[in-house]
Amino acid sequence: MRFAALLDGTVATAAVQAQALAGFLGDGLRGDLAGETFVLYCDERDRERLVDLAPTRDVRLVKTAARRPERMFDCLTAAARGGDTALFLAAAGATGTEIVTRLACRAGGGVLTDALTIEARPQRLVCRKNVYSNHLVGRFELRARPWCVTVDACWNDTRRSPSPSHTILSESDESGDAGRPGATTDTRATGATGAAPFADAELLEAPSSGDLAKSRFLVVAGYGAASREGTERIADAARRMGADFGVSRPVAMNAWAPMDRLMGVSGTRAAPALCIVAGASGAPALYWGIEKAGLIVAVNPDERAPIVANSDAALLDDAVAVLEELAEIVAGRRTHE
Amino acid sequence: MSAVRVLVCFKVTPDFEALREADWAAAATQGVQTRYVRRVLNCFDESALELALGLSDAAARLGVTVELGALSIGGREVDPYLKTLVALGYERAARVAAGADGDIADTDAAGVGVGAAAGAAGVDGAGLDRAASGLDFAPAVVASIIASYVLRADHSDLLVLGCRSGPGDGGTVPFRVAEALGWPCLTRVTSIEPLGDGRLRVGAMVDDGLLRVTLRPPCVLAVGNALVSHLRAPTLKDRLERRERRIDVLAAADLGLDIAAELRREACVPTALETIDRRRRGAVIAGATPRDKARTLFDSYLSDLIETL
Amino acid sequence: MHLSREAIVEGLQRIVGPADVITDRRILVESSVDNFRKLQNIFDVHTMPVPAAIVMARSTEQVAAILRFAGEHTINVIPRTGGTATEGGLESAVPDSIIIDGSAMNRIVDIDAYDMQATCQCGVPLQALEDRVRELGLTTGHSPQSKPVAHMGGLVATRSIGQFSTLYGGIEDMVVGLEAVFPGGIVTRIKNVPRRAAGPDIRHVVIGNEGALCFITEVTVKLFPYFPENNVFLGYTLKDMKTGFEVLRAVMVNGYKPSVARVYDPGDAGLHFSHFAADDDCVLLFMAEGPAGIAKATADGIAAIVAGFAECTRVDSAYIETWFNDLCWGPDKITAEDERIRQTLNVNRTTEISADWSSINDIYQAARARIIAEIPDITMMGGHSSHSYINGTNMYFNYFFNVVGVGPEEETAKYYLPIIGIICEETLKRGGSIVHHHGMGKARAPWVRDEYGSSYYILETLKHAFDPEGIMNKGTIFPL
Ligand SMILES: Cc1cc2nc3c(=O)[nH]c(=O)nc-3n(C[C@H](O)[C@H](O)[C@H](O)COP(=O)(O)OP(=O)(O)OC[C@H]3O[C@@H](n4cnc5c(N)ncnc54)[C@H](O)[C@@H]3O)c2cc1C
Repeated sequence: MRFAALLDGTVATAAVQAQALAGFLGDGLRGDLAGETFVLYCDERDRERLVDLAPTRDVRLVKTAARRPERMFDCLTAAARGGDTALFLAAAGATGTEIVTRLACRAGGGVLTDALTIEARPQRLVCRKNVYSNHLVGRFELRARPWCVTVDACWNDTRRSPSPSHTILSESDESGDAGRPGATTDTRATGATGAAPFADAELLEAPSSGDLAKSRFLVVAGYGAASREGTERIADAARRMGADFGVSRPVAMNAWAPMDRLMGVSGTRAAPALCIVAGASGAPALYWGIEKAGLIVAVNPDERAPIVANSDAALLDDAVAVLEELAEIVAGRRTHE
Repeated sequence: MSAVRVLVCFKVTPDFEALREADWAAAATQGVQTRYVRRVLNCFDESALELALGLSDAAARLGVTVELGALSIGGREVDPYLKTLVALGYERAARVAAGADGDIADTDAAGVGVGAAAGAAGVDGAGLDRAASGLDFAPAVVASIIASYVLRADHSDLLVLGCRSGPGDGGTVPFRVAEALGWPCLTRVTSIEPLGDGRLRVGAMVDDGLLRVTLRPPCVLAVGNALVSHLRAPTLKDRLERRERRIDVLAAADLGLDIAAELRREACVPTALETIDRRRRGAVIAGATPRDKARTLFDSYLSDLIETL
Repeated sequence: MHLSREAIVEGLQRIVGPADVITDRRILVESSVDNFRKLQNIFDVHTMPVPAAIVMARSTEQVAAILRFAGEHTINVIPRTGGTATEGGLESAVPDSIIIDGSAMNRIVDIDAYDMQATCQCGVPLQALEDRVRELGLTTGHSPQSKPVAHMGGLVATRSIGQFSTLYGGIEDMVVGLEAVFPGGIVTRIKNVPRRAAGPDIRHVVIGNEGALCFITEVTVKLFPYFPENNVFLGYTLKDMKTGFEVLRAVMVNGYKPSVARVYDPGDAGLHFSHFAADDDCVLLFMAEGPAGIAKATADGIAAIVAGFAECTRVDSAYIETWFNDLCWGPDKITAEDERIRQTLNVNRTTEISADWSSINDIYQAARARIIAEIPDITMMGGHSSHSYINGTNMYFNYFFNVVGVGPEEETAKYYLPIIGIICEETLKRGGSIVHHHGMGKARAPWVRDEYGSSYYILETLKHAFDPEGIMNKGTIFPL
């Protein structure tokens, strides 16, 4: 059986995707499968770097002009219709979800997003993914082929490093005039759609959540920060320690911190070596964002908060106070050296 | 200028956060019993409902009419939400009936995954009982109901819905609907503004930033982590004035759908639930003051580790 | 002589040291209001005088010294512990007040499982005490919704009541003794005894004083055995609140002591029970607890009584038990609610009163009808009865309105106070009490004379006797 991995090189998260895919192919995927990578790119200057990132030796290049990935569909649908490729894999995320879902719809296959593990059997793909906001893991079977799956973003411990040398199997250029910036070309679009429904797409903010996903040292603030000021003080302590800063959903929803700092089921999932959770109860929806951390330290005055039992070490105290003290110690140590 | 006809789809779910540890622990063998917990609006759908009202307000200021409609698939417990939406100015309110008064099995009739037969047979965990789980793990069926409603009944040209809902947390429904309708879809939408010429200015989070897009319906907008996250409340007077407005209750068959057959076609089938053990050591670090505790933490856990980061 | 803010701060620093005197402007401004004017904090629009300082007291001696200092310079002091007050008790009515914060006095002094009493300092969160005694198979029996956030001092000072009051009573039935500091720095200790008839019960001078007479530094409360495994839940739907009150009365006068006995009107029920009750249903619910035999007999007896009311339809008890397990409001729920208000300007307020069985339904109906008719922008007007007695019950009005056309600082004047006014009028007219358990605070102080009638003499004399300079929490209980 063959698989095709999809690497969206038109967005800044390509490296994170590549790492997730490589890790997943190494540890998350069981079954006798060989495969290739479709690399989507829009800028010639990125081409080489993206090819290097590909998690398989065999690579197919698709060039588009857009930052949105729909131009890929013709190639993918053709590959799917060829019947040879049983499994399409993309990294979790908005574009990954869109690609696998639309592909499954067009090719008549089954789709599952955010797979933790998959196992290819002759007639079905057995997948596990988090359900009920990460309270449980559900096991699913994909029956109809092609199986279209996004893989959990947290396969960072790349035991199997990306292939050293790559073979380019094919190249296609889809960046023709249909691909105006931001244009979605929908192969099934009816007359009702009209031309170029997404005119003038414009990227407003610098990428940042991508950094969170890659973080090695993360401080996550929760409601225990108690206010915007408390949140800012924890963020500042994180900065002084050289840590990245994330927040729980309520903190982001209260606009105590920007939405792109959000960790968990509706935000980023990371696998840092060290994660300090400051003033969050550690509800499963948040915990999902940090559960792959090497060492989890909880700071929470409430010893019954789930995060305490789900941490390696816990400090039962006020989050802001502890983080500020810790920042002083860590910063002192660093300047000392 | 012609009016924009908007349909917002929403789901009323059990408040999963109100379940206790013991309920989750029993899930692998007994399924998740959600019948007894209170209901809430799926958070992304609540944003969608409020964003659409905001769109309608802003359009009215520009002299553009936005006709709002709301659709949910569910049992009678959805009706109070629909009444609220009608009072808030949603002109169309419809429910595709599930549970006791519909042709779709109701989740809370039995709780998801009870699968007594599979459990007794001792197969790995309890099988998820499709009949009992309603449409909770059947995104393809949900999408075909929504698409059929748009095509056969509502004829809306802007579809707004949450980007994801529990318990499946798959996030595929908006794209499936978009595929079925042949419309483009923008996901993780955080703002929707009218431009006055029939086009919309939409903000959406993408994997590497915030995208601002101008588009002309028809299209599907899947709402993500918008800062607008709470639905406004209608006054008692609003309720009284719109009391007589009808809520359409449809059976899936009215939309030409055979739910049993659709469910059989669903390509992704849930088979079991597993509990998750997240416990770690949970070693409590003692100390008299925050400073003492921070110092002990640093000395015994962090000093070496931090060097490697 | 009138002291400047700086001089007040210096004076306090001399008593407790600089670290325990908070002068951060932002914290002071936020502390100028409590939940009564919570919109001012939510929208960061402030109109109340800013306190001069918050002083963190760490001992009874420090409290005494602060009160002496305040007395010498006639500075208004506002006692505070958990900070969850809902009626303006923490509001600074006059400029340059001192907030004496007792939350650092948070030591559980003694848990005596033989004499079944626990002693703790004023700043012990009730939840912390409850968790400790639960480890011994005991309970305080006190469970206000604010249990995770309110502290023992404030709970005694407001005369609070918990969700299991029908069995365990209000805080006044639990406090056996206490320590309090009066103006002039006079430290008084009321000893812990089961009962005494050595004159008037002076505990009641302290319980419910809302910081207007003295500062409570320590309290001793009763303990009870805890048998959660015996809890039995009963739930019913019905169409008419009048019937609901009748059922509650029948349960009480027949001598049953459920720990929870409540009836919700349709509006309030819609907030909690829409997954099993229709939108015009009232919901009636009970919990029986205690030793197995008692819990069972209580539940059976109540079920038999309710069976006599044809209007009541039994619902699966699991609905009630599940609801019950998720009742209390921790800081996260409070912050989430604030955020909802910030986004929607839809504000939730409550006002609780009590009256005898003959009047309660009339008060409920009359106040509700008037509020709907007279107050604009109401989005929900409902309530429930949650604490019953042999001679009557309480009504907890629960209402929401949209704030329209005025700034957040005018919300109380445009909506909240007029609603409170209607409820107080309708209650007083029928001989009820305008405050069942949140305290008078500053919100309902203007009605104090009407509430007390000729007995106001006793109340006023207490104030004059214990606080002759009028430094204790100006405007609370006694209007300015
Ligand atoms: C979400 C929520 C739910 C609630 N549920 C309930 C409920 O179920 N039952 C109930 O009875 N109340 C309830 N309340 C009201 C409030 O929690 C109680 O009034 C509580 O007793 C206040 O305790 P506290 O420690 O927060 O006091 P604070 O808010 O700090 O103070 C309350 C009042 O007591 C005075 N005071 C505080 N400490 C002292 C002291 N040491 N000596 C003298 N005076 C003092 C203050 O000056 C003020 O007037 C609720 C409030 C909220 C916000």
